[in-house]
Amino acid sequence: MNRDVYVIGVGMHRFSKDRIAKGDLYFTAAREALSDAGIKFRDVGSLYNGYIGGGMTEGLGFAKDLGLTGVPITHVENASATGSSAFREAVWAVSGGQTDVAMAVGYDDMRQMGSPLSSNQGGKKKLPSMENMLLPAGFFAMWAQRRMHENGTTVETFAKVAAKNWNHARHNPMAQRRADHEVTIEEVLASDMVAYPHTAMMACASGAGAASAIVATEAWAKKYANGRPMIKVLASQSQSEHYGDGHIFMGAIVGPSYSTEITGRLAFEEAGLGPKDVDFVHVHDAFPIEELMYYELLGFCGPGEGDRMLADGDTALGGKVPFSPDGGLIARGHPGGPTGLAQVWDTTRQLRGEQGKFQVEGARTGLVHMMGAGSICIVHLLQRA
Amino acid sequence: MANMVPLEDGYMIIPENPELPCKLIGSYSKTANKTYFPIRKLCPVTSEPVETVELSPVGELYSWSFIMMPKMGSREKVPGYGVGQIDLPEGVRIQAPIDGKMGDWKIGMKMRLAPNPVVTDEDGTQYCSFKFVPA
Repeated sequence: MNRDVYVIGVGMHRFSKDRIAKGDLYFTAAREALSDAGIKFRDVGSLYNGYIGGGMTEGLGFAKDLGLTGVPITHVENASATGSSAFREAVWAVSGGQTDVAMAVGYDDMRQMGSPLSSNQGGKKKLPSMENMLLPAGFFAMWAQRRMHENGTTVETFAKVAAKNWNHARHNPMAQRRADHEVTIEEVLASDMVAYPHTAMMACASGAGAASAIVATEAWAKKYANGRPMIKVLASQSQSEHYGDGHIFMGAIVGPSYSTEITGRLAFEEAGLGPKDVDFVHVHDAFPIEELMYYELLGFCGPGEGDRMLADGDTALGGKVPFSPDGGLIARGHPGGPTGLAQVWDTTRQLRGEQGKFQVEGARTGLVHMMGAGSICIVHLLQRA
Repeated sequence: MANMVPLEDGYMIIPENPELPCKLIGSYSKTANKTYFPIRKLCPVTSEPVETVELSPVGELYSWSFIMMPKMGSREKVPGYGVGQIDLPEGVRIQAPIDGKMGDWKIGMKMRLAPNPVVTDEDGTQYCSFKFVPA
């Protein structure tokens, strides 16, 4: 990066299964981020709106509730990586010298997204597209099934990932799923089957929500630190998928995900760090197979060692390197557009030591990973300066 | 016999004679010596031109799942359906619905391509995607 970039403010609207007006979601998260940073909207020099399900430049109208300041606004869509992409654009706007302060806002309600019925057939009768015949749940389930075949991974292991993340979310006020009791592996396994071997409690929570982050130069970060630690963006990397044997061109590409391996490596190189330097991690844990695979693909353990890492408690709060400390997509939730920014919200607050009962003790460096449509990977490394 | 036609052009061939196997259409790259599905405009590895080829109708099951959610394009509740990834001899991995029920599938088993009617027109024409059935 050309200039150092810092996260100076974050905000969220709680992820929820309730119907909430998108404009309200947007306003709550954005205003909270501005308040957290201690700046005014007129200070923002570039704004990036991220959403998947809305209409053309929909976020532009919502931004008017913050003010008509003439700020350049760009709309970003990258499937699940939409919020992470909006954040990355903001980071690069500051790093590249376009502005000193940039803001990213992500919002969505996954249940209001359009029907998957689509057509590639110009003037013909509207028919389903050949490209969209399978659900993402199927892709992930087949990745899990193959893992079971090759590594002997059990359904109990997948349930353990989910139970861990449900329990991480219990004290997160922004989480969609907040259990009133310790969630057990048995409970996860007993929930409805979605796509074998994944059950409903293993599937990410889809709902509504919003999240926002504001990034700025070192001078702004110092000016508005207000006694809090400054949070530096050490690396911002993105890769789309590389070709490999077994690549499936139709639909989302899930597994073996070379993009995660490569993007993670590039991020570590940019930061001059390695997995051992990271205190906690956020990943695209839409289903447990993903989190399990990302232990290995991001280099936190060797190939095939993820099951043991989970069994040893290394990735739970209190373990060596907690994954999804706020509950992840499985329990904090996955509305779409804001998901990657919710990761930044938690990472920033973890690094400041502000997360209370789900605080990663002594956290200094966090890794934030997100996948979009199975073929876009984004990794950021954030560190308490 | 219903008139079966592909849902979209350029993905598969459904012969008029139901005794003949339907086939997927892919691309072969001489420069990379690799085959792809569906048709590519250029080789994704070398960016050189590719030629259109018909793919083998039988392959091996690489992975599978049983889905309890509606199929894409539908919101109707379903009793469940299988999906699979099938490796064809040309080195192509295909993702598609598969016939059968839990317990029927084993990784490595042979699977054969078949038309999969998705929508039926007023005149009885069946618009088809594709699926695999145990061979």
